[in-house]
Amino acid sequence: MSHSHNDTIPLHPSSQSDIDEIENLINASVNQSVPSARPPSPPRASIPVSVSSAPAAPSPFISSHLPPPLPLPKSSASPPPPPPPPHPSSAFGSPPNTLTEPVWDTVKRDLSRIVSNLKLVVFPNPFREDPGKALRDWDLWGPFFFIVFLGLTLSWSASVKKSEVFAVAFALLAAGAVILTLNVLLLGGHIIFFQSLSLLGYCLFPLDVGALICMLKDNVIVKVVVVCVTLAWSSWAAYPFMSSAVNPRRKALALYPVFLMYVSVGFLIIAID
Amino acid sequence: MEEESYTTSHLLGSAVISEERNSTKHDGPYASMQTFPPSNGVDKGQGYPTEAFGQQPTSNWQGVFSVSSYTQYFNVDTDVVVNRLISSLNPVSGDFFSKIDANPDLYGPIWISTTLVFVLTLLGNLAIYLTQKQEDSSISWRFDVSFINTAAWSIYGYVILVPLAYYFFLQYMGANANLIRFWCMWGYSLTIFIMSSFLLLVPVGILRWIIIILTGVASASFVALNLRSFIEGNDLSVSIIAAFCLQIALTVFIKDGEERMKAFMQEP
Repeated sequence: MSHSHNDTIPLHPSSQSDIDEIENLINASVNQSVPSARPPSPPRASIPVSVSSAPAAPSPFISSHLPPPLPLPKSSASPPPPPPPPHPSSAFGSPPNTLTEPVWDTVKRDLSRIVSNLKLVVFPNPFREDPGKALRDWDLWGPFFFIVFLGLTLSWSASVKKSEVFAVAFALLAAGAVILTLNVLLLGGHIIFFQSLSLLGYCLFPLDVGALICMLKDNVIVKVVVVCVTLAWSSWAAYPFMSSAVNPRRKALALYPVFLMYVSVGFLIIAID
Repeated sequence: MEEESYTTSHLLGSAVISEERNSTKHDGPYASMQTFPPSNGVDKGQGYPTEAFGQQPTSNWQGVFSVSSYTQYFNVDTDVVVNRLISSLNPVSGDFFSKIDANPDLYGPIWISTTLVFVLTLLGNLAIYLTQKQEDSSISWRFDVSFINTAAWSIYGYVILVPLAYYFFLQYMGANANLIRFWCMWGYSLTIFIMSSFLLLVPVGILRWIIIILTGVASASFVALNLRSFIEGNDLSVSIIAAFCLQIALTVFIKDGEERMKAFMQEP
């Protein structure tokens, strides 16, 4: 049924599955009874939305906690708003009002998203080869935490010039992620800027673990072994995404800087005394 | 003659066409592909330069801020880059400019200089440590993060400023000059330093001196011979000698940096 749309841009192979998913969700929610489609939030003192108007609306988009723009009894008169993005945690029927939910809910939602993104990127799973699915729900909180954690760990491990070590590590990783993304774009590759930043940040997770172990155990041989293992793991995590973004003849050109950045960070982890 | 350069210039870095290009090499205003900064958002993949060449005199500054107008400088494949890297290790051939003539790239200079910064700091520190350990086994490992800072400023500064200075100097003297090609050549001349940094891990003192001297001379002759073949017919040999000396100066600077690292390690 999606083929009835007049697409002028050829779809990415994973986009078709996205469109089908959205269609299924729309159909599923239309069949639901509307009152159960509201998110379970505590009742707020606000402009009362008349419940009687809700069953009259066959379209799921009308019922919400927001006050109606005009006292329109008919649902067909008002144009439906664009469908909200497929949100896994709430019912598709009404847009979730995240501004008034408890803070713990927000934090929990972000944390669960970080964990799920981490599992998708860093651990083996069947979706790794598909860049459309691999990090579709990208966010920048995860990369931020990992970069800051790595900087802090290196700074703690250093005996002198702690603040400079943190500055160098943070600048290297943050600027490095931006430059690596620009490198792929300049080589004529196709990636989404922030999605790539997000992915490069998530791939730092193994190096974070390695840095933590190196901080706790100060033996050179252990450090070298741990850093080599985590470096290989990070590179393995970043490889499918980066290599599929560019022309196959330029794959090595896009991958070498990623490798260079991770090796430098690995060297820094070993070298900081 | 300008049209020739466009129809063949999309062949990626192929040395085959360099013979036909030699006659057009020294022509006046260059196509938008070969000037820096890019004057408009010319994407190399489009059926391009005829309208871009027409717009050349009116500098459209919007091209400076869009990524797509810089992709023309990165239009190389892996095998092309590897080919250029290997030919940059050859100090006596003097034909590097003809190799990059059709398609100078900035990928090489950027990533070679970045690699050199990290390799110099980390491997240099390691080499000094190993050398000291041979003489005085009680020495302990010390690493100063500010070496990265010094190395980055000096290497990037050298690769950016020296070709820029040569470009302005040669423009002033009336000889033709092309900034992208200069950046490309000077960037690729640093390849040999990366390789010698690995070789310098050997802690034998006299061998390290030999390696450093050989590296400096090879890199300097690469720069000087290529520059001479580029400025053919002009009596600017002073500038060529200056290029040679500058590269030697870079080598001396690296060696001095090592001495500083050594002093740092020996501090109580």
